[in-house]
Amino acid sequence: MTFRTRLLTAFGVVVLIPLLVFGLGIRREMSRRVTAEYERRVATLVSVINADIARENDRISSRLAALTTSLQGDNDFRTTIVRGGDRGYILDYAGGAMRLAGLDFLQIQDDEGRVLSSGHFRNEFDRLGPHVVGLMLVQAATAEGPFLALVTTDTLRIAGRPFRLIGGIAVDSQFLARLARDPELGVALELPRDTTAPDSNAFVVGEVTLPYIDAADGPGRAERARIVVTRSSALLAALQRNVNFWFAAAVLVAALAALLLAGWLSTRISTPVEARIAIGDLARQVNHDIKNGLAPLRNVFRHLTQVARDEPAQLPKVFTERQGTVESSISYLETLAANYAKLSPQSERKATDVNAVVRETVAGAGSVRTKLADGLPPVSADALVLRRVIENLLSNAVDSLEGKGGAVTITTERGNGLVRIAVSDTGRGMSKAELDRAFDDFYTTKTGGTGLGLSIVRRLVLDSNGSLKVETEPGQGSKFIVEIPILT
Amino acid sequence: MYRYFMPARRVSVIASISLLAACAHPRSGGTGVTTGPREALSESCLLSTGAVSGRTPKITIGLTDPVDPRHAPIPQNDAERLVFRHLYETPVRIDCERHVLPLLAEKWVRDDGGRRWTFRLRDGAQFWDGAPVTAQDLVFGRGGVGYTLAALETRVITVMLAKPADDVPPVLGDPGLAISKPAPDSSWPIGTGAYWATSATTTAQEIRAQSSRGDTLVFRSAASGDARDLLDAGVDLLVTRDRALRDYAATLKDLTVVALPWDRTYVYITAEAGGTRFDGLEQAVRAEARRAEGGFWWLDLRACGLGSGHSVSPPASTGQRRILYARSDPTARELAGRLAALTRAAATARSPDDLSAAVSAGKDWGYIVALPRATADPCRAAKTLLPEWAATITALVDTRPTAIVRRGVARWTVDQDGTVHLAP
Repeated sequence: MTFRTRLLTAFGVVVLIPLLVFGLGIRREMSRRVTAEYERRVATLVSVINADIARENDRISSRLAALTTSLQGDNDFRTTIVRGGDRGYILDYAGGAMRLAGLDFLQIQDDEGRVLSSGHFRNEFDRLGPHVVGLMLVQAATAEGPFLALVTTDTLRIAGRPFRLIGGIAVDSQFLARLARDPELGVALELPRDTTAPDSNAFVVGEVTLPYIDAADGPGRAERARIVVTRSSALLAALQRNVNFWFAAAVLVAALAALLLAGWLSTRISTPVEARIAIGDLARQVNHDIKNGLAPLRNVFRHLTQVARDEPAQLPKVFTERQGTVESSISYLETLAANYAKLSPQSERKATDVNAVVRETVAGAGSVRTKLADGLPPVSADALVLRRVIENLLSNAVDSLEGKGGAVTITTERGNGLVRIAVSDTGRGMSKAELDRAFDDFYTTKTGGTGLGLSIVRRLVLDSNGSLKVETEPGQGSKFIVEIPILT
Repeated sequence: MYRYFMPARRVSVIASISLLAACAHPRSGGTGVTTGPREALSESCLLSTGAVSGRTPKITIGLTDPVDPRHAPIPQNDAERLVFRHLYETPVRIDCERHVLPLLAEKWVRDDGGRRWTFRLRDGAQFWDGAPVTAQDLVFGRGGVGYTLAALETRVITVMLAKPADDVPPVLGDPGLAISKPAPDSSWPIGTGAYWATSATTTAQEIRAQSSRGDTLVFRSAASGDARDLLDAGVDLLVTRDRALRDYAATLKDLTVVALPWDRTYVYITAEAGGTRFDGLEQAVRAEARRAEGGFWWLDLRACGLGSGHSVSPPASTGQRRILYARSDPTARELAGRLAALTRAAATARSPDDLSAAVSAGKDWGYIVALPRATADPCRAAKTLLPEWAATITALVDTRPTAIVRRGVARWTVDQDGTVHLAP
């Protein structure tokens, strides 16, 4: 696993796992609170529904009481009951009375429960009506089909005969809508043998039970019906979807940020480290290879030294014998050097305008004075290589000023078969000891320097078949002169 | 030397025409000529509305149903029956006692043992636009089961019957033979009756029919939908089946309430085999009703190619126990409701046209249909009102309308089918 991979993994663990735990915790807490809030509202709604039904019962009962009083004083009704007569009056009585009383269901039943008059369905006379006791839900018949009513009953006696008035109001979608005062809670009716598929998104969270009779096809029998309060899971699901979405977005953003941060840090940390590791590996390899080549030479040299000391007469003969070994080792080392040379990038030599390269380089180097000779012939060099050379020299020249002021000048001129580029400064200059080591790898006098700049410059100039000269004086400045052959 | 032998048939026809021309007196049996006296009205068919002094130039008739000129001359409800009877003429008219009276045809001859009847059109009979009525106008495109029509001369037609008849075939009094022709500039077809109406004399609430004598019949609907407003507005005649309206009229002076003949029988049509008896249906309806009495014309339709042995199998039912009725007919609604209560079915309303289509299709549990108690052309009525599939038809109740008539305004008479109209 590379250093960069380890860095990314560490960031993932440090950032994403806490974020995940945090998101799941919020999600769970939100569900718990919403559910608790629903339960509180459901309990309130159930008590309100009970109160509403009790109020409807009182209202229907008071209307039935008024109808009972009116019926007892109705001489036409009494005459028809006692003496017989126009039965049409009785048949039509409930229709008119029901509308006047503001009811949706009204039956007048005799003592056997047989319908004498029906307001909601005139022509169901002589059928056995439902046996209603107290407040009930009744599935009632009409000519067009059944309908549901919330009914209650009252009794009266006319001419000594008992009669029963059953009246009520329709239980329809409007009735249920009046009960459902909370827009986020649903109120539905569940009847026995109800085959309607329940809403898969709704959960029953409360109920009110009522006695129920299905009298659509006869008197029916008492059963239980439920007014159920439901809450939709859709709201909670929507909330959870939102939380999930934003949580996923947060994770994504955090992951992206971690990735970018890790990438930046790895660039800052791992690249120099890995470069050093690579150079070390290469150095060990070179060391090993060179030692392999030197060992036979050392042995031959020791052998010849020993022969020269102990048996000088044998020296020519021994030399001749060991000459092959020496030549073989030298050949090996040359091959080795050629192979390592292949590892460095090969520059492309072509006609290059030195002044143009100088101008391009100086354009990004701040206040550098230039004295460029006109009519310079093109040199045989890679423009990129030449630019790297000049950049390094300029950088060193500027650094040598140490921020104390001074001048950096670059000049070009034509020499004999070559073009000369000189970068001079008025900086601190170099001592003899410093000059001797100036082109060594990793030697630097600057804080934070790599010590590779002049080493690279020398190698690049040599690769271009050029030469490099230095004129320096401590405290007076330095002048680096690069000479590149003209393109022939 | 040439010889020409006249065919016996041609001899007979020529003889009939000659007899018609001679206006001979009728004879029983054999060949004879009958002339229908215009004033030979049966007194029993006149409504008792008191003595009438003089002619009233404007008579107002109330309507409780909508009238659609596109239906003319064949009515589809009580109001259209009343209006069309005054505007369009059939060859003969059959009064409430089944007496045949001349209308477009003024003379007729029976021959060929009662198989052929020859009619001569009334002199001066003409359409409202002045065009004379010809035999071709009556014959063209007409005919029915059991009879054929042919024009012998400009004003003479013959009716050939599949079965001989002693009396004038009543089919000639059927509205299906009433004469009319399209009017280019009016929604009302041009008729031959004494009164005429056009689009210009028709509004949503009123139809003004005028005669060449200068009198006007105004047919008026209640704008409010409450027919009592018509009575209060002073209509001279209103025919209704609403008992509440009848009772209200009885409280108004100058109005007479006259019960008209039982003219309609409500039947229950179903594909279920076997008849069902429903008791107490008279109480289920608010109209004046009685238990349906026999003598129904639809019981034997073999002559029409219908009935047992001719009907097709009933179509497959939709499976719903549904009883259909005409939405505009309160009596049908009440009967459907009662039957629904007794049979655990559901009553469902349909427009009249949709009900006819549903009866023809026969996919529902049952149908409440109002049939005329008497019809001059049973085959046409059966084709129009009854299904072709093998149905069980159960007569439920008979109903009859009530005529509310203003006393002393006009003389009103009733035809066999129960239609009230001005006496000639």
